Parts: sequence; structure tokens; C-alpha cells
Amino acid sequence: MKPEAMYSPEGMLPESLKAPPIIVGTVSPGALDDQVLSHIDRKPPLAWFVAFACAATVMLIGFALIGYTIATGIGAWGNNIPTAWGFDIINFVFWVGIGHAGTLISAILLLFRARWRNAISRFAEAMTIFAVMCAGIFPLIHIGRPWLGFWLLPYPNQRGIWPNFRSPLMWDVFAVSTYFGVSLLFWYLGLMPDFASLRDRTKSKFRKFFYALLSLGWLGRASHWRHYERAYLIIAGLATGLVLSVHSVVSFDFAVSLVPGWHMTIFPPYFVAGAIFAGFAMVVIVLVVVRATMKLENLITMYHLEVMNKIILTCSCLMGYSYLLEAFTAWYSMNDFIHHAFMQYVAGTYWWAGWTTITCNILIPQLLWLRWFRRSYAGMILVALSVTVGMWFERFVIIVSSLHQDYLPSSWHIYKPTMVDFGILFGSFGLFFTLVLLFARVLPVIATTEMKMVLPGSQPRHGGGAHE
Amino acid sequence: MNDSKTGKIVAAGAVAGLVGLAATGFLSGWDRFWVNWIQWFLFVLTIGLGCLFLVALEHVVGAKWSVPLRRIPERLSGLTLLMAPVGLLALLSLPVLYPWMHPESLKDPVVGGKAVWLNGWFFAIRVVACIGLWILAYAVFVRGSIRQDNDKDPKFNVRARRFAPLFMVIFGITITIVAFDWISSLEPAWYSDVFGVYVFAGTFLAGLAATTLAVLYLKRCNRLPDIGPSHLYNLGGFMFAFIVFWSYIGFAQYMLIWYANLPEEVFWYKERLDGLWGPLLLGLAVVHFFVPFVILIPRTAKGEPKRLVWIAGLILAAHWLDLYWMIFPILGKGPLFGWPELSFALFFLCAGILWARRAMNRGADMPVGDPFLREGLEFRL
Amino acid sequence: MSKQPYSVLGLFDSPQQLLDAIPAVKTHARGRLEAYTPYPVHGMDEALGLRKSPVGGMVFVMGLIGALAALGFELWTAGIDYPTLTAGKPYFSWEAFIPILFESMVLFACFTSGLGMLLLLNRLPSFRDPMLRSKSMPRITRDKFALAVESQGRPLDVDALSALLRKAGAQEIEVVEQPEAPGPVSPHFLMRSALTIAVGCIAAGYLTYWGVKLFPVVAPISHMLDQPRLDPQRESNYFQDGFGMRLPVAGTVARGHMPFAVASQEEAARLANPLPRTEETLKRGKQAFSTYCSVCHGILGNGQTSLTAAYGAKPANLVSRQMQDYEDGKIYYVIAKGKNAMPPYAADLSEEERWSVVHYVRVLQRALNAKDTDISKETSK
Repeated sequence: MKPEAMYSPEGMLPESLKAPPIIVGTVSPGALDDQVLSHIDRKPPLAWFVAFACAATVMLIGFALIGYTIATGIGAWGNNIPTAWGFDIINFVFWVGIGHAGTLISAILLLFRARWRNAISRFAEAMTIFAVMCAGIFPLIHIGRPWLGFWLLPYPNQRGIWPNFRSPLMWDVFAVSTYFGVSLLFWYLGLMPDFASLRDRTKSKFRKFFYALLSLGWLGRASHWRHYERAYLIIAGLATGLVLSVHSVVSFDFAVSLVPGWHMTIFPPYFVAGAIFAGFAMVVIVLVVVRATMKLENLITMYHLEVMNKIILTCSCLMGYSYLLEAFTAWYSMNDFIHHAFMQYVAGTYWWAGWTTITCNILIPQLLWLRWFRRSYAGMILVALSVTVGMWFERFVIIVSSLHQDYLPSSWHIYKPTMVDFGILFGSFGLFFTLVLLFARVLPVIATTEMKMVLPGSQPRHGGGAHE
Repeated sequence: MNDSKTGKIVAAGAVAGLVGLAATGFLSGWDRFWVNWIQWFLFVLTIGLGCLFLVALEHVVGAKWSVPLRRIPERLSGLTLLMAPVGLLALLSLPVLYPWMHPESLKDPVVGGKAVWLNGWFFAIRVVACIGLWILAYAVFVRGSIRQDNDKDPKFNVRARRFAPLFMVIFGITITIVAFDWISSLEPAWYSDVFGVYVFAGTFLAGLAATTLAVLYLKRCNRLPDIGPSHLYNLGGFMFAFIVFWSYIGFAQYMLIWYANLPEEVFWYKERLDGLWGPLLLGLAVVHFFVPFVILIPRTAKGEPKRLVWIAGLILAAHWLDLYWMIFPILGKGPLFGWPELSFALFFLCAGILWARRAMNRGADMPVGDPFLREGLEFRL
Repeated sequence: MSKQPYSVLGLFDSPQQLLDAIPAVKTHARGRLEAYTPYPVHGMDEALGLRKSPVGGMVFVMGLIGALAALGFELWTAGIDYPTLTAGKPYFSWEAFIPILFESMVLFACFTSGLGMLLLLNRLPSFRDPMLRSKSMPRITRDKFALAVESQGRPLDVDALSALLRKAGAQEIEVVEQPEAPGPVSPHFLMRSALTIAVGCIAAGYLTYWGVKLFPVVAPISHMLDQPRLDPQRESNYFQDGFGMRLPVAGTVARGHMPFAVASQEEAARLANPLPRTEETLKRGKQAFSTYCSVCHGILGNGQTSLTAAYGAKPANLVSRQMQDYEDGKIYYVIAKGKNAMPPYAADLSEEERWSVVHYVRVLQRALNAKDTDISKETSK
């Protein structure tokens, strides 16, 4: 049967079926360049300097405390037996998780040909790299003798032994370093044509030299674009595999063990969902600020924010499912130890952390079901902050709550973090935001080349059409 | 394709299958009968549920490229309803196959402790509740879409988009219940909390594969002329992605249980690796992951109709094998495949194909009332 | 400049215009066509007749190599080179090797894709292309689309090509010149570079010297080495005499040594030799005697050694009449406690060794005072 009476949607659709525009107003490629790339030439506003000063200060305090830890020993932290992993691993898992949103936006949405991704992919990918950098600090400094950290790498040595490839901690080394390398490569490849734009725009000879160098002589030849697009798409596909695998490998750190509360088979997808959850929350926070301060509201629109909020809501439901399954399994397994571990989450020493997790991760984000809430800036910032806090506490609860009371009651002991622990945690936030601020100052925050691809009228009619 | 002649052959096959099916209980034992019954109940149910999930997913995301294709999974999700009586009959298998139905099992504290969940009455209530919820979802999504063919009212889209996220929650819970109740409780001492996700992955893949097969069949009959290589590429791409997802979940579950080596978890896998079951599992990995993955890697392959037909068929067969590998070991023998299995296969496949053909012929092949149909047809990569 | 131009280029406002222009220019122009766009334009590859990119094949091969290399390395290190047992897992535990295999595959594949594309296929970085210095390049990276006819060594008819491009719809034409051939390096440049390098080396050398002088190489973090504890052979402020190593408390008995509580040689005469006179005992006694006793008492026990004259003291003749009459216990006492100039050997010889030496001394006494009757009886044994 032939389809008949297909009518033009926009005029006759009910309001709720109409999505907000992906780009507000008409933007020409030249105007896009001017709007986005001019930030790099201009001096940033005072607010940037204030923010940078704050972030850098906190970061430096964190570095000083890391130096103190290396000089004194892990005793400066709260780690002890049985809680041999504390803030160090909590922060590691937290930051690696945050990185995953960027790869999802850059890579997975590219595979889905989602047009809206192009305005935010550059920033998101940058955030991934910075988050992984923050994450990578912790495995290095928590090993007691960080100057021997290179022993983790498999090189022929006079000790005659190899690293233990059966250990999930080794899998972590490979997974996180692969993730960092691939994200950096992917980000750089995306930046290359933008560097070419900057090279051709800039009046300063000094900057032109650097942009020319960084753009590797990119010219926009069609014969080059063909290889470039293919390579970019393939890396996106492979990076999708990384989104799943990296945080799953991190979850294996816990799930392959016998610690009650850790050995749950749902950990891999649960951690990946949590990572996307936390990552998108961070992206929302940063983008709401960036689009306001850099006057990019016409490019990073309410459409983007609403879609990201919907993804946050989806992940919140996935987390809820995971918690439900954990609770069910704690009973269904008829295993006293798993049962005890679960009861510790909700009614044990750290019950307040457990309930913070549930409230911040499951209850508060449910407000996003309301359309007016997810379209209000205050609302989405509230939820995003709540999710960030909640996801940090979730890692806290998983690690500390399970470890501090495992099999043998004689080994039970309370974990008390020290000021150094807190200082390094805040220092990592300082590092992250310092890097974000530097990025916003020095590099194009929107991938102008990719944006030009999805402006209306950017592709010839018979070759392309609506990208969905 | 000579419709009526093929139809007659298929019908004959269904009748032959039915005869063999009926004889199984008397000739081969009722446990064999019920194992096959559960196997086919779950196989067809998961195809229907996978299609229902696909429809709901399309509404949640508001995807436009899939609108022209949506009628097919909508029709195929009727399999869920078709399996309702099959499922209710399957309740008769509880005393035969499910150890927790027997009072002696309550002596074992691990099984007995779960009696508040694993008992005949609660189980039946759960089955009925799940079926009820699926019927509700079918009514909202499918009946509403069919009604929209005539009244062209965009309010259906609004309603569907509102209900779809709620259905996702319902679906998550019900598919987990299906997995834990029908499959996992065959060995009530075992537990694995990712099991619901594992069965979901297989379910969604089965739904995608069935949809792809149906789309390609209709295209061969020239009934979906405007569906182009871009649409097929997306279907192939989705199948590719979820093959990877299924393998990832399956491997994660296996590897975690293998690594910790806890007796209370490992025994389930050990039963399914002993004897010939091990090579069968290897075969499952090959047909469910390696072969479709490698064949679908090239970009052109994902949109090629001939390749997609074979891959979709292979995936459905692999999904059947997946369920087989999980369910049949409870009989305590090696992999059985005799005339009972053939009869069941013949009956369910032929009856299913007959039903699907009739369902497809009931109305329009595309949701002609959907306001986004034209945009969907214009979709090009 | 009467050199051949590098290319003749026409600027277009939109990708549609560029695509439309290509067929016209292609048929009439001699020379290689190249398009320059600020972003990839769909349909460009087909219009220009560009072949498919081989990146996919390269990635597949390298990904496979990465995966197999990782698996091989893991299997070799953990199973062959230094097999270790971790958590009771088998040496070739493939399950545990899969995560790194996967990551390695992704790493190899991604870097092949990125670097292969850049270095091999696009031959970037490259800073010599004449287009980099053209007037059109800034406009292209901004928002214009260009179609260029490149000379590739052959002469270009600039006017004809310009007219052709204009007819096809180009808004502007540019003739891109060949770049200046890089001349020989000027002496001024050489001198500047040499000076810079020299100054740099000198500065680096000085900085290194002063740096090492001011911050002597120390163990980077010595706190864990520097602990408040007593180390062997070190002084200590804790004790008055300043010694870190202390003698054991009076009355401490070493393991295996019971205290020798006999007061005098006469009392010791009561002690009996607990060891039987076996060949093993005698051998041990001989070895101990040769090591500790023969220095002063002579290898035959008769007190005649080269030491006698220089030593001053006169070691006893152990084989004399007097010594033969000594009881075993008395000899034992002297060995343990010493006598006159002979130091006590209790610390050097264990109890067993001392009694063995006593046996051996008896042997020496018999041997050096042998009677004829000994020979006939001894040799027959």
C-alpha cells in the first residue's frame, strides 16, 4: 500500500512533538567562525581570570599535598587495613567515569549521525581527556613508591619477572592508557581542520606558526577528506568499544574479587551506566556556564541541554535498576555475607553515604521527568550537581562500605579520611577546571568544521538530506 | 514466491510438528516435553518482546528514520500476545522442571529461604502480571498506531512518547522477571544479577533480527519500495552493535564467575561446560559473535540485503541456541536433538511463519498516519 | 614570474555549485582535478572519481595483529617464560587475557587509522604545498569551495581554464604559483643557527653542573629508609655506651647448646662420653681436631708443631702416659673451658663435636702407642 496524505509536520504538530531547534537563527559558516574563533583572539573577561585563579590555587594545593604524600608515605591518608583502598580509588573511578560522556558524545553519536552532537563534541571530548588525566594521577600516587610505577609496564628487566596480566589492575593500566591515547588522537584529528581555520585567520605571525604546525599543513583537499572521514569514523566506532570496555575493566577491579558486595556480575554494565551518568552531569554543568559566558546560546541550545538531561534521566533509571537488582540479589543469593554487605549500604556505619547516593542518584534526577524542570537552568544545574555528588558517594559506598566490614569481624575497622585525602580530591577538581578554563581560552570550544557540516544548506541536495 | 503453495507446505509442516509435539510427552517423557515447551515459549516470546522494545525505543528517542519500518516490529510484537496462552500452559511445567516446587527442596536452606519468592502461586501471579503489562503496552503502541492509519491523529505520537519511557521501566522489570523466573530458577541455588541484562541483550537482538528478516521479505515482495539502503544500513548497524553488547555481557558474566571461582556460582557454568556442552558453547560463541561480527564489519555489508538475510537468520538461530544452552542442561544429559526437538521446531516455526504472514497482511505496511513518515522515507545517510 | 603556475582555481559559494561544476570542467580540462572544501561534502568522491579509502582494510589487519600480539605476549609471559599461579588459575587462562587483548586491538587499530591516514595516505605533515600560500586558502577554510585544475608538470592554458571555470559558475579565479625553490642556506642563517646551538649547549652544561652541585643526588624519598629503629652495626644514642648492638643477657643459652655446668676438671671426670664410637663420630672428631686442635697440639696430637717455638707456651702432648690415664670427662672439660694458655673452645665446638674429638684423641693415643698385638687383631677387622 502506498503511503498517502503525508503532510508537512511542523505546521500541524502538537507542541510537545516539536523539538527545540538545534541551531537558533541562521548561521553562516563565516559567522560561525567569527563567533567561535574570535574568543581565542580576544582577552577573556575578568570572570575567567577569577575562575582560573581559584581553580589553579586549589590545584596547586592538591599538588603540594600529593608531594607531601609521596615524601611521607600513604600513612598521610586514611587508608589502612582493611580499607586499603580509600579516596584514591574512589577518585580514580569517579574521574574515569566522567570521561566516558565525552567519548559517547563524540564517538557514539557520530555513529548515529546525530546532528546535534557537533556543537558539543569538541568540549565533551576535551573534558574526557582532562578527566582521564585527573584519573590517571591516582593509580600512580597510591602505590606507595610512585617512582617505581614503571614496573607496571611489561619491559624486559633484570628481575626476570613480568607484570601479572591476569590481574584486573594490569587490565586497568592498558585500558586507561589506551583510552587516553585514543581520546587524544581522536580529539586532535578533529582539531586539525580547525587549526587550519585558525592558521588562515590569525594576524599574529607567532600564532600563525603554531597553528600551521599543529594543522600539519591541512588544506581541505577532497582526496584528503575522503581518508580523513573514513579514519575518523573508524576511530569513532572503536572508541565506542572503549566506552563499554574501559569502565567495565575498572569494574572488574572490584567484581573479580571475593569481597562481599563487590563480586556482583552486574558491575560492568552498572559501572558503564554510572559513568555516562556522571559524565553527562559534568558536561551539563560546564556547558550551561560556557554557553552563557561565551555567548554561544544560539549554537549550544536548549535542544542540546534537554537531550542531555533526558540521557541523565535514562541513566538514573538504569542506576535505579542496578540498585534494585543488587538489593534483590542480596536477598536472593541467600548468602549472609552479600546480605550483610548490602545492609551496610543502607543501615551500616556509612548509612548516610548510602542514602546520599540513593537520593542524589535516583530520587532527585526524577525531577527531570517534568519538562519545565529539565528546561530550566536552575533545575538542570541542581540535578547535575546532585548527580556529581551522588556518583562520588556511590563510589565511596561501594569501596569503603564493603571493605570496612568484610568476612572476618576481627578485621573490621572504620575508615577515616584525612585532610590530605580531601585536599587531593579538591585538587583534582582544581586541575580539571584549570584545564577546562585553559582549553576555553586557547582552543576552539566548538568544532567549527563539524558544525559547518550540519548547518542548513551545507550539503548538496541530491547527495545528502536530513541527518538524524 | 508462490504464496498459496508455500502456505500449504508450511501448514502441513505445522500439523506434522504438532503431531510429533503431542507424542513427545508420552513417548520421550514429560520432562523432555516441557523443556522443549519452555524453550520455544521463551524463544518466540523474546522475539515478540524484542520487537515491542524496539517500537518503544523508537518512540522514546523520537527517531524519524525508523518510522517507515515501525509497522513491522509492531506487528511482530503480537507474538507476545500469542505466547500468552503458551506461557500459561507452561505453568504446568513447574512441578516437572522446577526443583523449588518440590517440598523436599525447602529443606535446603539456600532454596528454602527463597520460597517466599519461588513458589507456585507467586510465580503464576508474576506471569499473569507481566502478560497483562505487555498487553497494555501492545494496546498503547500497536493498536494506537494502527488506529492512527485511519484518523491520522498526531495525538497518538504524543501518547506513545509519554508512555514509552514508562514502558522502558516496565520492560526492564518484566524481562528481568522472565529471566530470573523461567531460566535462572531452573537451578534455584544459582544467582547472577546481570542475568536480566543478558537475556535482554539476546531479546533485543532477536527482535532486531526478526524485524530485519521481515523487512527484507516484504522488500522482496515489493511491498516496501521506499525503504532504501540507508534504512537497511541502520538495521545492520544496530544488529552489529548489539551482537557486541550481547557478547560483552555474556563474557563479563562468565569471566567474573570463572575468576572468583565460588562454588555457589560456578556449578551452573560447570554443568554447561561438561561433556559436549563445552563445544556447544564454543559453537554458540562462533555463531552468535564471531561470524556475524566479522561479516558485518565492512560498511557495505551492513546494508546489503543478501548478507543481512543470512546474518539475521543466523542470529535468530544463535538466539535459539543460547536459550537451548541455558535450559536443556537441566535434563542432566548431553545436548539432545532428536525427533521431539524437530517436531517442536517444525510446529513453532511453521505456525509462527503462518501467523506472521497473516499479521503482515492485516493492514498497511507502514504507519501511514504518522506525521513523520515522509521525513523518515527521505532519510539518507 | 614566467614559471608554470601550480594550478588554476575557481571559488564557489556553495557545495551544490561546486558539484554541478565538476562534470563540465572534467570533460574539457586537461590536468588533475582537485576540490578544496572547508568540510567534507557528500557526493564529492563520486563526482571526482576518487577511489574508496583503504583505511578500513589497514585497520582490520592491524587490529587483528594487535589482538594476536597481545594474546601471544600474555600467553608467553604468564604461561611459558615465567609461569606463575595466580588464584589457582591455569597458566593459559585465556579468560583473563581477553581484556588486554581487546584494548591492544583497539589501540593498534586506532593508531593505524589515525597515523596511517595522516602519514601514509594524506602524506601529512607537509608544509610545502603552494596552496598554503595562496590567497584563496583563508577563504576556503572559512566558507568557500574551490575547484582546482592542477598542472602536475604539464603546461596549463590559464586563460582557457579561467573561462571554463567562470562558465561553470566560479565567482573568482586564482592562479596559484609554484613556490620558490628553496635556495641554498645563507651564511647568515648558518651562523645564527650555529651560534644558537653553541650558546644552548653551554647554558645547558652550566645549568647541569650547578644543579647537580647544589642539589646532590639523593634518594628521592628517604623517609621510609630513615626510620627510628636500631640498625645493625650502628651507634645508638639510647644506650649509655653508645653501642647499638648489645650482648645477650647473662645466662642466655644458644639454641642447641645446653649450659656446661661443671665447676672443675675433677668434677668433669665423672662425665661419660655419650657418643658411641662409630666411624661417623670418629670422622667428625678427626675433622674438628684437624681444624681446631692440630694447630697447637700437632696433627698427631703429640704437641710437636711448628708453632711451638714461636708461641712460647708448650701445648700438651695428648698421647702421653698421663693423658692416656685422663678420664674422658676431663679431656672434655679442657676442650670446653680451656686450660692455662689454651682458650676455651666451647663456642667453637658443639657438644657433639667435643665428644667426637675426645674419641679421636683416644684413637690417636692408641695409634701412637701401638703394640704388636694390635696389628694382627686390627688388620683382620
